[in-house]
Amino acid sequence: MLRTIRFIAVALIVLVVAGVAVYFSLPKPKESIEVGEGKVTNLRTVAQLCTVDIYNEVPVLDTINNKVIFAIQKQQGSISFDMEHLRVDTIGDTLHVKLPREIISIYEATAPNSWEVIDTKAIGPLALLHNGKLSAAEENVVKRRLQARSKARLYRNGTVSRARTEASATLAQLLSHMYRRPVVVSP
Amino acid sequence: MKRFLYILAGMMALCSSLAGCTQAPPDHTGLIEDVRSAEKMVFAQMAVTKTAKTSRTAWYKIGDRIAVYSYDTYLRGYIDLSELQPEDFVFDEDAKTVKIYLPPVQTELEGRDMTLREEYEHVDPLRSKIDSRERALLKEKANQSLHAELARNPMYRNTLTKNAERKARAYFENFFADQGYTASVEFKQQ
Repeated sequence: MLRTIRFIAVALIVLVVAGVAVYFSLPKPKESIEVGEGKVTNLRTVAQLCTVDIYNEVPVLDTINNKVIFAIQKQQGSISFDMEHLRVDTIGDTLHVKLPREIISIYEATAPNSWEVIDTKAIGPLALLHNGKLSAAEENVVKRRLQARSKARLYRNGTVSRARTEASATLAQLLSHMYRRPVVVSP
Repeated sequence: MKRFLYILAGMMALCSSLAGCTQAPPDHTGLIEDVRSAEKMVFAQMAVTKTAKTSRTAWYKIGDRIAVYSYDTYLRGYIDLSELQPEDFVFDEDAKTVKIYLPPVQTELEGRDMTLREEYEHVDPLRSKIDSRERALLKEKANQSLHAELARNPMYRNTLTKNAERKARAYFENFFADQGYTASVEFKQQ
């Protein structure tokens, strides 16, 4: 009986060692990434005055569905104003222009490694039972939150008000060239 | 003793998982923050969609593991207003005409979508799910490919420039028409 148990134990150890050896000797799965040609999907004409360009590099730490992601993102964007919807009033010989609401665009930058994932992990009571990989949909939720936070920060740190002030100055100069009379732009 | 050790190990696991649940709120203080002044008048925007497929195969793997994602990158055509001088507007009061000399249209990459569109995903139960690092790598390759295409194929920038010029011309003509002037727009050479 003891001999049988010993035999089974040795056989099991041999099997496990052989299994591990085979596993590590297997060639890595061949990974292929195929990228298609770019397609122009939208082309539109606008008339927007851009007064601020934004370049950020932000650490991203977020939790979704008991999964944590930490990444670093490079962002680029701008603050613009729609020049086709300017409200212009003439009082005496002076033009009074009201600056329209700002258009804030925040994108992921196109520089190399603009989205660098450092780590993902599972948390919560069942952390040991799942691997903490985020699905594409979960990652998109994280990124939408990040975009909203980045926009909010631009209001908080005064970048938007600075953009409005600069837009007013630029617009006043441009319009005074064009109208050839005093122009007052209210931010 | 053994039972005590089991209970202790269980409590430690529970504590660590609870600690994970109550993580500090994310701190999104910018590592680098660069806000630059610009005096650009944007007249055209273009979205270029890139689609990329990832697949991983090996003879000993059971099942498929394929995913296709896409996202848009944005380009814009603009004129630099800081180059505009008062003498670039030449008025003829008798003929009620104005000749405008605009700086050349320039193009630049505005950025790309943060999110990815999942066009297709087929991961069989015995295969590992596609993770964030793989998707980041895929986006990186697509980005490299787009940069190469933009350098190789002038169509993108030419189309953008033509559209921006057309819009700028129409914008200034309309603007001066409202003032009773007939405007003609010319673009300076780069």
